Amino acid sequence: MFRSIWSTLAGLLIEDGQLAIGALIALAITWGIAYSGGDQGRDVSGWLLLVLVLALVVANLYRAGVNVRARVSSARR
Amino acid sequence: MDPITLAIHATPAFVASAVEFVEATTIVLAVGVTRGWRAPLFGTLAATATLAIIIATLGVAIVTIVPELLLKGVVGSLLLLFGLRWLRKAVLRFAGIVAVHDEELIYQREVAELRAQGLKRKEFDWVGFLVAYKAVLLEGTEVAFIVIAFGAAGGTALTAATVGAIAAGFFVVALGLALKQPLTMVPENWLKFGVGAMLCSFGVFWFAEALGMEWPGDALSIPLIVLTFLVASWLAVRMLRALLPEGARVEARNV
Repeated sequence: MFRSIWSTLAGLLIEDGQLAIGALIALAITWGIAYSGGDQGRDVSGWLLLVLVLALVVANLYRAGVNVRARVSSARR
Repeated sequence: MDPITLAIHATPAFVASAVEFVEATTIVLAVGVTRGWRAPLFGTLAATATLAIIIATLGVAIVTIVPELLLKGVVGSLLLLFGLRWLRKAVLRFAGIVAVHDEELIYQREVAELRAQGLKRKEFDWVGFLVAYKAVLLEGTEVAFIVIAFGAAGGTALTAATVGAIAAGFFVVALGLALKQPLTMVPENWLKFGVGAMLCSFGVFWFAEALGMEWPGDALSIPLIVLTFLVASWLAVRMLRALLPEGARVEARNV
């Protein structure tokens, strides 16, 4: 069980580290805007988080795709 | 409980839990078919009892003692972190970069490993017991997390999520008992794609609620958020397929 918890944590923080860090930054930005922006900040916080997370996912996957393409190209050579 | 609340909180818990139950059922079936049913059934019962104790103490304490907004904030963050990981992997699977989850292959591997370990007819089969116990406990712990996450609002939401998970358990176990073979007909890869989107959506929803946001239509916003995640993910799949031609995708799995 502990090995499974460790592998999940390692997967989250090491394999998908950039995604996890990006998500934490998105959460922090949302929290900051919700608290500093008053009622208006709170009202848009959810939509802002949604946009940030979607941008993060697409950017992360694009990068993963580019990395895989580079690895395949170098393996072919 | 009104049908909309039930649908919103029970359906995601049902689908997400069904995925976990399918994985546990595959292992228990592999043990039962190769080594006999007594030990894996005892293992499953023991794991279920362990889980019941964990949920009754830790789960109920978390949901009842921790203030609602703090719980939504913490659970929302965790859901988003874990959901993003599921969604990323699902997109990579559908783009052909990561091999798809194959329940039949997992079953055959498990059967081969269990056969290789041998069996002493006169003794209680501790190997079978432990393999089943571990599989049910691990997948069950994920089900417990899913129930707490989808029921983080407490009250009816928690009840609905619990009902959804229990229904998924009965459904999958009944299917496994009836067929006595791995549940390959369950579209697990599609379900995982949907579960990733749902986990992320609930994460965004709970976290914003914890910050004091009132979503238009309250929980009715969730299907819209799920749809947004699904559309964006599907576009990401297409983007990756365009980046890597067919041959390169097959090679990528072996690099």
